[in-house]
Amino acid sequence: MGAAQVTVGTSPVQELTVVELAQSPAGEQTGKLLADLGAHVVKVEPPGGVASRRTGPFVAGHDDADHSLEFWAYNSSKDSVVLDAASEEARAELAAVLSSADVLIVEDPEWLGAFGIDLEGLRSARPDLVVVSITPFGLTGPWKDYRTSDLVALAAGGMLNSCGYDDHSIPPIRPGGNQGFQLGASFAWCALLLALIERRQTGRGQLVDVSVHEANAVSGELANPYWFYPKALVKRQTCRHAQPEPTQPALFECADGKHVYFALILSEQKAWNSLLTWMDDLGMAADLVDPAYQEVAHRQRAFGHVQELIEVFFLIQDSETVYHEGQRRGLPIGRLNAFEDLVHDEHLQERGFFLDMPAPDGSLHPYPGLPYRFTAFETVPGAPPRLGEHETESGESHA
Amino acid sequence: MTQTTHDPIAPDAGDSRRPRLRTGPLSGVKVADFCWMGVGAVATRLLADFGAEVIKIENRKRLDTPRRLPIYKGEVRSYGDEDPNPDPDKGGLFNNYSRNKLGITVDMADPRGRELVLDLIEHCGIVTENFAPGVMERWGLTYPELRKIRDDVIFARMSGYGHTGPQAHYRSYGPVVQAVSGLSFNSGLPGREPSGWGLSYMDNQAAYYNSAGLLLAIYHRMLTGEGTEVDVSAVEAGVGLLGADLLDTLVNDRPSRREDFPRGNRLEHPECAPHGVYPARGEDEWVAIAVFTDEEWKALCAVMDHPAWAQDPRFATAAGRVAHHDELDGHVASWTADRDKHQTMHDLQAIGVIAGAVQNSRDLSEVDAQIAARGTFFELDHPVIGAAQFEGFPAQMSESSPDNWRSAPLLGEDNAYVFGELLGRDADTLARLAEEGVI
Repeated sequence: MGAAQVTVGTSPVQELTVVELAQSPAGEQTGKLLADLGAHVVKVEPPGGVASRRTGPFVAGHDDADHSLEFWAYNSSKDSVVLDAASEEARAELAAVLSSADVLIVEDPEWLGAFGIDLEGLRSARPDLVVVSITPFGLTGPWKDYRTSDLVALAAGGMLNSCGYDDHSIPPIRPGGNQGFQLGASFAWCALLLALIERRQTGRGQLVDVSVHEANAVSGELANPYWFYPKALVKRQTCRHAQPEPTQPALFECADGKHVYFALILSEQKAWNSLLTWMDDLGMAADLVDPAYQEVAHRQRAFGHVQELIEVFFLIQDSETVYHEGQRRGLPIGRLNAFEDLVHDEHLQERGFFLDMPAPDGSLHPYPGLPYRFTAFETVPGAPPRLGEHETESGESHA
Repeated sequence: MTQTTHDPIAPDAGDSRRPRLRTGPLSGVKVADFCWMGVGAVATRLLADFGAEVIKIENRKRLDTPRRLPIYKGEVRSYGDEDPNPDPDKGGLFNNYSRNKLGITVDMADPRGRELVLDLIEHCGIVTENFAPGVMERWGLTYPELRKIRDDVIFARMSGYGHTGPQAHYRSYGPVVQAVSGLSFNSGLPGREPSGWGLSYMDNQAAYYNSAGLLLAIYHRMLTGEGTEVDVSAVEAGVGLLGADLLDTLVNDRPSRREDFPRGNRLEHPECAPHGVYPARGEDEWVAIAVFTDEEWKALCAVMDHPAWAQDPRFATAAGRVAHHDELDGHVASWTADRDKHQTMHDLQAIGVIAGAVQNSRDLSEVDAQIAARGTFFELDHPVIGAAQFEGFPAQMSESSPDNWRSAPLLGEDNAYVFGELLGRDADTLARLAEEGVI
């Protein structure tokens, strides 16, 4: 249990030792991305464990530090070492681990400070160390001391302004799963790899100062270009692109009460004919078979009518059929899968995406695997650690 | 090899668009880049930002969609409302996605075009693509074939479903990936249809994973001399982003299709309230507030000047506030509704309450003092579009600064440099290839 296994070739990060002081999904996911590829990630925890260990949901019936699924989600393949900043011995241990580390991931410089370590001092002692700081707004600037949460990161960074319902009496709605933090983690991961490449060439480490706020602010897709160019603001629309003007619904309910996403672009002749043939095959094309509908302009004028017929067409079929039959006919349709659907997905199964991840009691659970496959090397992520499961080389872990 | 007429890396203040030696950690890295649309273009943009010579391969007969999308200065049109005969150099989205890259045009269906591309692949040693599965195979550009051109080649493939499995050929773009991976179902008010995403979130997130995959491959080659194929599945990246809610279903068998899920703007874990998005002064303006601890609750009460309702003992504990969240939200909203969203954010943050204005793109660009101070957005000139703003890299690096040297290439802008100076074709050959539509 624990470390990721390198099963093919040599992973480029497997020789790295990483020290992680993180307890939000932003820093923890950054460490996980390294650990799952075989880096030795030492997760430093205070007595009692990091905040994520105390956050639910928990494995049913086990409301303790070793059974938080919030912790499991972001901490596979790591070592857990408990170090109490109040203890002289623990402070020496952290200094010892850092003296031979390649990378430090840190969310709160004050946590490091409690161990008697300041970033500048550390960097001058270890000019080859890559320090990845991930903070809510960055280490500099007028908002540097502001705090954040996933909701607030998405709000301030502009993502939330694009997400919600057509009905604007309803506030913008936060997309689920800590995505504001995840955006910070993705850029921290890329920046860290850039810093490793730089270090390989020059021997020098560096300070990487990642701002979760900025990571959100540059990830809104069309929203900023719409402001940068036509000076238009996008408006949120139910489960489809926020745009300067309202567009037609793209979410369709099916006979089984589940939804599919399908954005019909009227100007695409091939997609139109594919849909039309499909509707006609089921006797549902009605007057759309009229040659007049072969003209884009006519389709656009009759758009409300077209939309109604499509709504009915999808409503009489179940979502699984609509998804696969639509895709078979070359239409980019997606079923809105719920979590319980994913483990039964034939494609994910055939690709062996879900791993059997061991829990502390030895039982195995499905767990998402890696999103990238390399021919040159392969790794299999390891289990998230129990609190204080590991020791530093120079000392003991005090769980 | 033909004689070049000028040194391609000489500094030339008179022609700032001339390719030059790049700076940054990826200086010297070269990429034959077939990527297009958003997910591919954003992935290779990061490499171009940090010094790689990313040579974007385009086909004049099939313009990259962002070249056609009507995001134009001074002209408000929705995404689907395309100009039937667009100026390929006018699109703002293309400018945004392909800054710092070189651009060439070539018709792969012509054997002479194909020969140029094979030369380019040998020259670069890195090939990137996000076509529908099958396109590269039809061109014979598979990893084993590419290795015959250059044994240490890196071949980065980016697709919705990955290149194996029964649905590898399914068509997808951001919203489809979000739907299939669970990221749309995950988002919305309980008891309503999902609100999902108002953007192609997974075009960006999959792009970032694609960038990381490429950087890992480059780093690996630096360490070992060995190339690799890297295959990234956007759907799998999406599933990997679902977090603890997914594990609650996988480990505890708790269905996600249930009455109280998704949760809108509220949290189930940790137990906390108020946690939501509240109205602010102005039309459709909002502010997000997240109170996690009793200390934060007391601080919020102080900023609100201790209204009578806040003394209600039901609100004294987190459990009580959660149990009466609807009523609490009504009170908080009545306080926020007449206040400026930024003022509320600053007043609350000043005493340690986590809050953020729901900022739109104008706010990010013109109001947000943090983005201004850190220079997150930057400006570059463009021959057709003129000066434009760009979304920069959201981290400051003490050693490895981005090298933002040029806005996006005009269609075929770098044909002479790439085919002539890098690949050694003479001017007459290039003129003939251009005339016959090969480049």
